Amino acid sequence: MENLDYARLQMAFTLGFHIIFACIGMVMPFFMVVSHHKWLKTRNPIYKRLTMAWLKGVAIFFVTGAVSGTALSFELGMLWPEFMKHAGPIIGMPFSLEGAAFFVEAIALGFYLYGWDKLPEKFHWFTGIIIGVSGVASGILVVSANGWMNAPSGFEYINGEFTNIDPVAAFLNPAWFTQALHMTLAAFVATSFGVAGIHAFQIFRKRNVELHTKAFKIAIVFGAVAAFLQPISGDLSAKDVAERQPVKLAAMEAHYETQKGAPLYIGGIVDEENRTISHKIEIPKALSFLAFGDFDAEVKGLNDFPDDELPPVAIVHYAFQTMIGIGTLLMFAGLIYFISLRKKNWLQNKYYWLLFIVVAPLGFIAIEAGWIVTEVGRQPWIIHQIMRTEDAVTPMPGMKYSFFYYLFLYTVLAITVTWLMNRQIKSLNQEPEDEDKTT
Amino acid sequence: MLYIVLFFLLFSLLLYVLLGGADFGAGIVELFSSARNKEHTRDTIYRVMGPIWEANHIWLIIMLVILWVAFPAYFNLMIIYLHIPLSLVLLGITLRGVAFVFRHYDAVLDKSQFWYNWLFRIGSFVTPIFLGMSFGALIGGEIIITEDYETFGFYDLFMQHWLNIFALLVGLFYAALCAFLASTFLIGEADGKARKHYAKNSAFFTLVLVVLGVILISYGYFTGIKFAEDFIQNPVSLACVGLSGILLFPLWKFIKKEYRVASRYLAGFQVVLILFAALYAHFPYIIITAEEEISLLNNIAPESTISNLAIMLLIGGFVILPGLFHLMKSFNMIKVLEKPEKD
Repeated sequence: MENLDYARLQMAFTLGFHIIFACIGMVMPFFMVVSHHKWLKTRNPIYKRLTMAWLKGVAIFFVTGAVSGTALSFELGMLWPEFMKHAGPIIGMPFSLEGAAFFVEAIALGFYLYGWDKLPEKFHWFTGIIIGVSGVASGILVVSANGWMNAPSGFEYINGEFTNIDPVAAFLNPAWFTQALHMTLAAFVATSFGVAGIHAFQIFRKRNVELHTKAFKIAIVFGAVAAFLQPISGDLSAKDVAERQPVKLAAMEAHYETQKGAPLYIGGIVDEENRTISHKIEIPKALSFLAFGDFDAEVKGLNDFPDDELPPVAIVHYAFQTMIGIGTLLMFAGLIYFISLRKKNWLQNKYYWLLFIVVAPLGFIAIEAGWIVTEVGRQPWIIHQIMRTEDAVTPMPGMKYSFFYYLFLYTVLAITVTWLMNRQIKSLNQEPEDEDKTT
Repeated sequence: MLYIVLFFLLFSLLLYVLLGGADFGAGIVELFSSARNKEHTRDTIYRVMGPIWEANHIWLIIMLVILWVAFPAYFNLMIIYLHIPLSLVLLGITLRGVAFVFRHYDAVLDKSQFWYNWLFRIGSFVTPIFLGMSFGALIGGEIIITEDYETFGFYDLFMQHWLNIFALLVGLFYAALCAFLASTFLIGEADGKARKHYAKNSAFFTLVLVVLGVILISYGYFTGIKFAEDFIQNPVSLACVGLSGILLFPLWKFIKKEYRVASRYLAGFQVVLILFAALYAHFPYIIITAEEEISLLNNIAPESTISNLAIMLLIGGFVILPGLFHLMKSFNMIKVLEKPEKD
């Protein structure tokens, strides 16, 4: 493998790692403030306990997300200096705003973490809201910068020079809204099902059922609602990609031949060499409809794009299928939760809990798959149709070692955090005697 | 508008050196304390630093973003040639940061505390050294910018400019500066024996700092490093350093009289003077390569970007600074009215 491949692997790996922690850090504060609110209202100590437990989770995930985010902000420059040199003046605006939002989040977290019994109750609770809101704002801003790579705007590109730069137009690029909406909903779905699943597991094992049921109920609502909204946002995204990045759409569907009334392929095995896809399920005319809102619209196939502008098709197709499949599944899981609000006896059924345990990690897998679609699907470009990834990479040789260095760092972090979370959950099931010490 | 951007760049640099520095320094103080003192140092650090430590490190990101957006050509050189030391800095920031949080938020107290503690202490010591080495590399006059990969090997292009005595001295100097700040800040947080411990620490790190400063400048001067020569020949820089040295006397007096807040501000001011002296001698030429001096203001971003960034920074500043101030005030990190603490 070459320098470029290692640089790409390192980027993929660190982003893939960061996104999980960032999502949890973005969404968990909302669970925490709901529980906190219930405690303030009912003064039921269980809610206080739950709030404190989630708070510790938020603190651990925030710091991991923060340090991995710091590393990423450096890595972007270290790995892709040419990209950063030209992109900085154009797309710096969301990054500077993100810096501010992140700062606000850190300040609010400082108040919230250390403010128990020191700050007025309502103000203290409110700082929790700020953590959540500024976290979501950070996420949206960063995704907007990514949107610009897919839909470059806010400048003119003449003879290899970027001129007439308009940072606001770059920030509000045509892709920002659909991408930010899709990602924010995804963060809520994944975190919510993830957290609910962990509590479902404890209920399944009959540990501290009262507390975990309360936790489950708070967490799952967010995800169940978001899972229903996600297909709408996905549809917006698909139409957006169809218009602006037709080659990415073709790769997502492994669609080689240009066709009017193109069918939607579900599953299938991609043969990149012979440019075919086999063993797929076909839904006639569905792709044309989903992409352009017209059953007979023409969808351009991969064969009609220049060879040196094609992304790796198989990876993009499989990732896309994974994302869609999981999205649909989680929507059904959400539906089951809503039905169970009426049919209370389901809560006694162990298969009900088993279902939520099984789907717990799926949202995160879908997020990773979705990012693979976005990023790998854009290759070979780092800025769509403007700059190639191979032209952006650092001149420094030996990226192999850099890759292993960061791989080591993040693996250690991931293992430690998982282990810590496990300890947190275990301690929740013990008697709450030591709880007063931490408050 | 450019001046607003420059102001925020220097302002975040200053706050990172001061607050991030005190943060690193706290770990260094803990590292160099005896086993018994480590215990209470750990608790004091948590109490004082806990609410704010994450905010302290965001100044680094703000700095990075400003450099990247407004001064892309400068950022480009910096990030390519400092790839390795900055990776080491990142490792340090990551490990000590998570160790700091984990040691207080781990639900179970057991042997793992041992690892958190040592990661935090060593990380706090090593990270500012690498940060200082990175800065030393930028001003050391050893960077070779070329695309001739035949004549120059990996070591010439990506290692030697930061892996040398001058850069190491800058690194050690910065670490000592961090420890000086932290120990002086911590004095006000303790009573009795603990206070004596920090006072002793503060005196020790002041001594180390002064000695290292003298060694650094004379080494630079006698080995013909341009930055050091220009520094010594610049009356303003020299005066600042001199003033900073003289201010040590009132500082000791304040510490003795237990003026908790005044001593903090004074120590902070001394660091400001040192930083100002270092930058003034060479601003805006903050990369010195083997061939030339490269200005921060070379090939800056177009006017539309600069004004946009300036406005964003102003808005951000209006939101963040009052919040940050309120945070520090709420947890008694600053007091507007000076009161000597007596039990």
